[in-house]
Amino acid sequence: MFLQQLTNGLTIGVIYALIALGYTMVYGILKIVNFAHGDIFMIGSFLGLFFMQEFQLPLYLAFILSAAVTAGIGMLIERFAYRPLRLADRIVPLISALGVSTLLVSLAQKLWGTEMHPFPTAFGSRTYTFGSITFSEIQILILLLSILLMLGLHLFVTRTKTGTAMRATSMSLTNAALMGINTNRMISLAFAIGSSLAACAGMMVGIYYNAVYPTMGYMAGINAFTAAVLGGIGNIPGAMLGGVLLGLVETLGGAYISTQYKSVISFSILIIVLLIRPSGILGSKEINKV
Amino acid sequence: MKRFLSALAIAGLAAGLLSGCGASGDSQANRDTIRIGLAAPISGTQAQYGTAFKNGAELAAAQINEAGGIEGKQIEIVIQDDKGDSNEAVNVANKFVTDKSILGVVGHFNSSATLATAPIYNKNKIVQVSPSSSAPAVTNAGEYTFRVITTDAFQADYLADWSKELGYSKVALIYEQSDFGIGLLDVYQQSAAENGFEVVAAEAFNPGDKDFSTVLTKIKEKQPEAIFIGGFYNEAALIAQQAKKLNLDVDFIGVDSLYSEALLDLGKESVEGFKLIGFFYPGGDNAEATRFNEEYQAKYNSKPDTYAAYSYVATSVIIKAIQEQGAEREAIKSYLETLKDYNSATGVISFDENGDVITEPSRLTIKDSKFELYQ
Amino acid sequence: MIKKTAIAAATVLAIVLPIVLQLVNDYLLHVVIMIGIFSILSLSLNVIIGYAGQFALGHAAFYGIGAYAAALLMLHFHLSFWIALPASAAIAGLFGFLLGSPVIRLRGDYLGIVTLGFGEIVRLIFVGWVDLTRGPMGLPGIPAPSLFGFVFSDKLEFYYLILLLLLITYVVIHRLVHSGVGLSLLTVREDETLAQSVGIRPNYYKLLAFTVGGFFAGAAGAFWATYISYVSPDAFRYLDSVNILAMVILGGAASLPGSVLGAIILVVAPEILRYVSDYRMILLGLAIVLMMIFKPSGFWGEQYRKRNFYGNVKKVGNK
Repeated sequence: MFLQQLTNGLTIGVIYALIALGYTMVYGILKIVNFAHGDIFMIGSFLGLFFMQEFQLPLYLAFILSAAVTAGIGMLIERFAYRPLRLADRIVPLISALGVSTLLVSLAQKLWGTEMHPFPTAFGSRTYTFGSITFSEIQILILLLSILLMLGLHLFVTRTKTGTAMRATSMSLTNAALMGINTNRMISLAFAIGSSLAACAGMMVGIYYNAVYPTMGYMAGINAFTAAVLGGIGNIPGAMLGGVLLGLVETLGGAYISTQYKSVISFSILIIVLLIRPSGILGSKEINKV
Repeated sequence: MKRFLSALAIAGLAAGLLSGCGASGDSQANRDTIRIGLAAPISGTQAQYGTAFKNGAELAAAQINEAGGIEGKQIEIVIQDDKGDSNEAVNVANKFVTDKSILGVVGHFNSSATLATAPIYNKNKIVQVSPSSSAPAVTNAGEYTFRVITTDAFQADYLADWSKELGYSKVALIYEQSDFGIGLLDVYQQSAAENGFEVVAAEAFNPGDKDFSTVLTKIKEKQPEAIFIGGFYNEAALIAQQAKKLNLDVDFIGVDSLYSEALLDLGKESVEGFKLIGFFYPGGDNAEATRFNEEYQAKYNSKPDTYAAYSYVATSVIIKAIQEQGAEREAIKSYLETLKDYNSATGVISFDENGDVITEPSRLTIKDSKFELYQ
Repeated sequence: MIKKTAIAAATVLAIVLPIVLQLVNDYLLHVVIMIGIFSILSLSLNVIIGYAGQFALGHAAFYGIGAYAAALLMLHFHLSFWIALPASAAIAGLFGFLLGSPVIRLRGDYLGIVTLGFGEIVRLIFVGWVDLTRGPMGLPGIPAPSLFGFVFSDKLEFYYLILLLLLITYVVIHRLVHSGVGLSLLTVREDETLAQSVGIRPNYYKLLAFTVGGFFAGAAGAFWATYISYVSPDAFRYLDSVNILAMVILGGAASLPGSVLGAIILVVAPEILRYVSDYRMILLGLAIVLMMIFKPSGFWGEQYRKRNFYGNVKKVGNK
C-alpha cells in the first residue's frame, strides 16, 4: 500500500506545485497573497470544459485556449482589483482579493450551476499495474506535463531577458523601475503566467477526477498556498518542492492517520511552518528594515 | 452629521423596503389561491437538490390546477431559499410561519435544517413535510413534522439484510461525514453484526471531497467484497471511477440517495452493476411512479431523480389533505396524522404516530447504463 | 443638546420598535434580532481587525465555540443561560488568546491564512468529534433562558435580551478603544516597531484584541444557541467569517457605529434582494472590490483624531 499511496501523493503533489507557482510568483513581485488564485484554477477548469463541450474542440486545443483565456482573466483582475490599490494599506488588496474570489465563485455558480460536471473525455483512463501499484495514463500525463511546465518556467525565468526582468522586479519594485523595466508589464506577466499554469492544473484535475464544480478552488487554493509557503514563498523551485512534499505528506498522513482529518493535517503543517520557519524550506530569511 | 444622516437614510430605506415585502405576505387566508410553502436550497452548493424539489412540487400543483384546482382555487407554491444552511433555514421558517396564508410547508432538504426549523413550525402549529430529511432525530421533532422518506435507520437496516442475502462476508463503508452518512454508518454496522458479516473498514469523507484514492487504497488492503457508499450520487460516481483506476474490483451498494441520472452521467461504465435500494422506480409495478416519470419528462425535458419524486409526493399529500379536509392548518395536520395506504410515486405510504413513513423499497441495479429492478 | 435628544429618541425607538414590528410582521422582529447578533459579531471582529490591525479571517470559529459551549453547558450540565452566557464568552475569549499567541508574530497575509486555517480546523472538529458535538447532526433542544421562573418564549423577550447584550458590548468596547488602551492598539496597528520603541508592547495589545474579540463573539454565539435552540457546524463556516469581515469593512474598520451599520446592511440586503438571490453573492463580491477601490474606509469610516500630539484641534476629515 505504501508505494500506491506514494504514487497517489505524487500525482496530487505536482498539481499543488503547479497552482503554487502562481501564488509564489505573484507574492514574489507584489508581496500580496492572491486569495482569488484558487478560483482562477477553477475558472480554467470550467473554461476547458466549456471549450470542449460547446465547440467540440480536441483536448490539446482546449488546453491552450483555456490557458490563454485564463491568463487574460488573471491580468484583468490584476488591472482592476489590485493595481489601483498598490499604494494602500496592506490589508486593502487582501480584502479586494476576497471580494474577487467571492465574485468568481458566484459567477461560476450562476453560469454553470452548482453541480459537478463530468469531463467529456475518455483520454488517459487506461491503467497499468506493476506489482502493488496501479496507475492510469492520465497520472503519467499529469506528471510529465507538470514537470515540463515547471522546467519551462524555470528556464524562462533564469535564461531569458524578460524572465530576468521579472526576477529583478520581485527583488525590488522601485529599483527595477529605475533600471528601465516596465514594472507594470512585469506584474501583468506574472499574473498571466501564474493564471495559465493554474488553468492547466485545473484542466488536468478536471480530467483526473472527472469532476468540475465552482467550489473546487477553495481547498486547492489553500493547499497550494500551504505548498508555496512550505517551499518558501517567492521562490519558484520552492513552490515545486513544497507542492510535491505537501502532496506526499497529506496522502501518507491520510493513509496512516486518518482520511477524514486530511485537511486538518495540511492546515496544521501550514501553521507549524509559519511559526517555526516562515521563510520555508528554500526561502531566504527576510530582513525587516525599519 | 452628514454621515449620520446618510446612514439613517440607508437604514430607513431598508426598513421601508423590508416592511414593504414583509407586509405584502401577511394578508389573511381569504385569498383566491391556496398557498403551500416550499423550503429548499435553491442556491448554494446543494442547489441541484433544490431544483429537484422545486420541479417535483410545482408539477404536483400544476396537475391539480389543470384539473380545476381545489374548489376552484389555484394552488400556488411559494418558494423560499434556505441555501442548505440551518441559519438561513431558520429565517425561512420564520418567514413562512408569520405568513398566515401559507397552509403547510414542504421542506427542508437537509436533516439539520429540518431539525433547526422543527421547533418553529411546531410552535406555530403549521405542518412541515420533509421530502428528504432521513436522520433518526427527525422522528421526535414534533407532531407537526412529517416526512415521506424513511429513516436512515430503516434503509441501512434493510440494506444490511440484503447484503447478507447477497452473500457478502466482508463489506467496507465509505460514508459522508454528515448527519446522513453517520446515521447510515451506525445502523449498518449494528445490523451487520446481527446478520453475521463483517464491516472491515469505515472511512469518512467530507462532502465536496473529490479525491478518494487514499481511502480506496486503504480499503483495498482489507479486501472487501463490497463497498457501501453512504453518501450522494456525486461522490458515489467519483468513488466508483477511482476504484476502477486503482484496479479495485468490488460490488457497490447504496441507498436511495444514489438514484439519479447524474450517477449514470458522471460514472459511466464504472457504476455498472451498482446495487441500491430505491423507493422511486418508474419501470416497475408502481403505476404512480411511471405516471409521474412521464409527466415530469413532458414538463421538464429531463428525468426525475429520487428527490424530485419525494418532493412531488410531499406536496401531493398536503394537497390531498386540503382536498379532503379544507384549507386550514390544523385540518391538514389531523388528516396527515391518520393517512394510511396512500398510493404515491414512491410507494404505498402510511404515516406512523411520529410522522414517519412506513413503506417498502425496491431493489435496483444498474445495467447497460440504466436503472433496473434487481432480479 | 442635539446629542441628548438623539439619544433619548433612539432609546424610545429601541424600546417601542419590537412591539410595532410584531404588529406588522413577526418576521421583521427576527431580522432585527439577527441584526443585533451580527452587530455584536461585527464589533468584536472590528476590535481585532480595525483597531489592532490584525487581518483575522476565521472569526466564525469564536462564534461557534461560544454557541457550542453554551449548548453543551446548558444541555449536559443543566446550567442556566445566565451562567452559560458569561462562561461561553470566557471560553471563546480563552480560545482567542490561544489562537492569538502563536499568530501575533505573523504579518498580514500570513496571519489571514493561518486564522483561516484555524477557523477551518475548529469547524472540522465540530463536524468530526461526534462524541462531543454530535457532529453534523447538531445539538437540538437547547432550552430558552428563564428569568425568575419566566421562560423566554416569544421573540419580544429575545429582542430585549439581544438589545441589552448589544448595549453592553458597545459600551465596553467603546470605553476600551477610547482609552489609553485603544490608543496603544492603534499605535500598534500603524507601526509596530515605532510602538515598541515608545514602550508599547505589541504582543500584549494584539493578544488583548484577540481575547476581547473572541469573548464577545462567544457571547453572540451563546445567544444564538438559546434563540434558535439548535446548533450545527454549518452555521460557522468560512463563508460566515467572510460575511462578518464584509460587515466590518463595509461599515468602516475602526469605527464602532460603522460595524453596526455594516451589520444592518448585510443582514437586510439579502432580505431585500431575495428576489435576485442568484446574484446576491456576485453583488457582494463586486461590492467588496468596489468598496476597497473607492471607499476603503467604509460607509461610516474612522474619523481622524480630533487632537494631534500638540493638543491642537485638527480639521476632521476622511481617511
